[in-house]
Amino acid sequence: MEPKLEPIVETFKSREKHMCVKGEGLSIPVCDKASLPGTVTQRTCVYGGARIVLMPITDSIHLVHGPIGCAACTWDIRGSKSSREDLYKKGCSTDLGEKDIVFGGEKKLFETVIELHKLYNPGAIFVYATCVAGVIGDDIKAVCKKAEEVTGCRVIPVQSEGFQDHNKTKGHWIGCDALLDHVIGTKEPEETTPFDINVVGEFNVAGDFWGFKPLLEEMGVNIISTITGDSHVEEIAQAHRAKLNIVQCQKSSNYLAKKMEKKYGIPSIKVNFFGLEQTVNSLREIADFFGDPEMIERTEKIIESGLAEVEHKTDEYRERLQGKTVALYVGGNKAWSLVRAFEELGMDVMMSGTKNGIREDYERIKEAVRDGTIIVDDANSTELARLLKKYRPNLLISGAKEKYIALKLGVPFCDFNHDRISAFAGFNGFVSFAKEVDASVSSPVFDLTFTSLRG
Amino acid sequence: MHHDKKVTEIHHDKKFSVVNPSKMCQPMGAVQALLGLKNSMPLIHGSQGCSTYMRFQLTRHFREPIEVASTSMNEKTVIYGGEYNLMKALKNITEKQSPSIIAVASSCLTETIGDDMAGIIRKFEDANPDKELPVIVPISTPSYTESHVEGYNRTIKALVENLTTLTAPNGKVNIITGFLSPADVGEVKEILNDLNLEGIILTDTSENLDAPLSESALNLYDGGTTVGQLEDTANSLGTIALSKHADSAGEFLEKKFGIKLISGPLPLGLENTDSFIRSACQLADLEIPENIEKDRGRLMDAMVDAHSYNYHRKMAIFGDPDFVSSMTRFTSEMGMIPTVVCTGAKSKRFTEDIETISKEKECSPVTLAGGDLYDMHEAIKKVGADILIGNSYGASIADEENIPLFRAGFPIFDRLGAQRISTLGYRGGIDFVDRLTNTILDFYYDEAGYEIVEEEDMIIEDQKFAEEEI
Repeated sequence: MEPKLEPIVETFKSREKHMCVKGEGLSIPVCDKASLPGTVTQRTCVYGGARIVLMPITDSIHLVHGPIGCAACTWDIRGSKSSREDLYKKGCSTDLGEKDIVFGGEKKLFETVIELHKLYNPGAIFVYATCVAGVIGDDIKAVCKKAEEVTGCRVIPVQSEGFQDHNKTKGHWIGCDALLDHVIGTKEPEETTPFDINVVGEFNVAGDFWGFKPLLEEMGVNIISTITGDSHVEEIAQAHRAKLNIVQCQKSSNYLAKKMEKKYGIPSIKVNFFGLEQTVNSLREIADFFGDPEMIERTEKIIESGLAEVEHKTDEYRERLQGKTVALYVGGNKAWSLVRAFEELGMDVMMSGTKNGIREDYERIKEAVRDGTIIVDDANSTELARLLKKYRPNLLISGAKEKYIALKLGVPFCDFNHDRISAFAGFNGFVSFAKEVDASVSSPVFDLTFTSLRG
Repeated sequence: MHHDKKVTEIHHDKKFSVVNPSKMCQPMGAVQALLGLKNSMPLIHGSQGCSTYMRFQLTRHFREPIEVASTSMNEKTVIYGGEYNLMKALKNITEKQSPSIIAVASSCLTETIGDDMAGIIRKFEDANPDKELPVIVPISTPSYTESHVEGYNRTIKALVENLTTLTAPNGKVNIITGFLSPADVGEVKEILNDLNLEGIILTDTSENLDAPLSESALNLYDGGTTVGQLEDTANSLGTIALSKHADSAGEFLEKKFGIKLISGPLPLGLENTDSFIRSACQLADLEIPENIEKDRGRLMDAMVDAHSYNYHRKMAIFGDPDFVSSMTRFTSEMGMIPTVVCTGAKSKRFTEDIETISKEKECSPVTLAGGDLYDMHEAIKKVGADILIGNSYGASIADEENIPLFRAGFPIFDRLGAQRISTLGYRGGIDFVDRLTNTILDFYYDEAGYEIVEEEDMIIEDQKFAEEEI
């Protein structure tokens, strides 16, 4: 029998079971449900999910087929860095008007694609369907096909009508599907090696990928493509020849790895380059997978020198952070992948949650956190404020929309989403991570927050 | 009489696509207006992304929590219509937040599927005869027509049209602000205070979007325009729309209640602020007070102090139409030359304003109404600019052209203090002149105060000197 539990914070009856405490009866919250209409949900739409997966492809134009707002609010927000082109940063829209809604937007879409191709000659043009493009029934697949024939450029439809689902997880899958259906497997590599890999679900936010790319190269693996951080579309086109997929963001991209395994027989392993221990484990697992004695030896050396390089560099921070509590409320992956990294800093993850989690995501969180940790699903802004007020963590890790909820409550905050300042992955990334966390948790400004003149 | 068109047009290859937009959609304008209402809950009837992405843009600009509820439309509700979700949303907001007012803005999605929001709201009210319900106002903001500027206009109009009631003259003046920084709204209130004139500010974001650090900032807004004030708008002396593009509520009041409307200009710069003060004094039959004359004198003083650094500097300006046209006038007053002026809204009033200013000030900027930042950048490449004025999206253009970006407008996410940027009135003007001139000094003058001469010019000078020596 299910034990009776006090609700964690006051909320709607139907929302109570979306929050639980690990080890106290219910260890996995109710999840993957539509948000309640009329609440301030922290979730976004399916289009947002697809766009976030594909936007880091740097040599491509990302064209939003819809009214101006969908592009105007989302261009150049990914925080994803490029070592080459910056075409992906442009905000392109068909800017659908009333006439297009009445008579259809296909012709305008076609002309826009042709024009953008002429202007930029991109590696590919991704065309995103928005809510209204779906409702008026524009056949973007057909338009893309025709435009591809005319231009000779890859024109890729992304069926991401915003209203399709209650969260953006489906959008991630739709983004992955666009790559599976139209890109991966369409080009053969000039040469292959026995150690070819794809780095899947790494979006190079703040340059994270560059924190572990040199480590992988030193090991002797050959990176065919990253999907999609700092990538070119022609690289992803060759991804089917990899011998292994390593998956960093499992939330958005496990779907892609599974499908590639089915279609091309490429096995995958889950990696995590946040934190020293996880970086070490990930490198070893990759080396073990290939089983090449020389690579294993090289890897051990890389690990040794990597750890030596950062030894004592985080001591100062760890001293201050020891025993401090942290709450994670993120899109998905970081809800479990950051837990060990915080523990390595001596901090205690007392709450973890996601906005878009599905059951398997919460299984991962449950595995990662200690007993007594609060696990929350799709907390709206009122619930989040109540959780922060009741438990007063020393730090909240979340995104831009949550930032000022925490700060107004005097709870220190780090943006680990698109607006992150420094790269955290790999050995040196861990030092930056410690530094940035310390800069929030230990800042004296938070000691002033509850003072007043009149007492 | 027709005069020769002084406005330069630009033609290029781009006809269909928008690249790097300089406008947003109507529901964004609605939210911008609704954030100035007291104890209210804005609700967007559409997909979750609409409210979430708008909150994202607004929160990173104002650095405040921004609360906008969503009806969270999904596949099923799109097929069967949004009635269930809208009813449910109204119920949930009423029960859990108990606001005084819920303003519901539509989206492209719910406009296209044809939801009758007014009908659904009536149905909700009829279904709850015993409960004390908030005032609920529907606002039609289809994202596929016009821009956020019109969304703002329609919102103020819907609020006034739905709520205003004729009672007794109140001696106040209605001020439709348009989307301004909280500091600028505050300055407008200060000016009214100086005039000893009471205003109804539509809408008053001055405290809501620049709130002290306190838990209470997480509650529904404690400041801002009240329902009572909205009701009272029909009893005012007149309406001044600071934004010519947000004057529909004023037109409505004028037509229906004979409340005089003065539409624009935005009191930005010396001449435009003069117009505003005169309009306000004329409506309320007031003398211009001494301290306002003194502030005006201080602005002139600041402009004179700065003149030599600013003279004939080329300006490119982008943003909302009233901001751009008044900034064009102000920088011309300062002796600068506007070379490119760009707004995302396709506005005839904007081009007319620029034509008038061009004629008066003898300049001929490339004028982009309905332009995007691609168009603007192409124009800058052609006609040149020494400074760019606009939001954070101008940063990469400024970087590429090696000119400074003076940040003003929305959104500003790469610098702090967007909520405190002050440009309106004489005092805001002083602030602007100082900061703009200092930007010029930082960029074009060395640490000893000498103008930095381009290297090429230096070499030519050196050669000349060398030749003369020989």
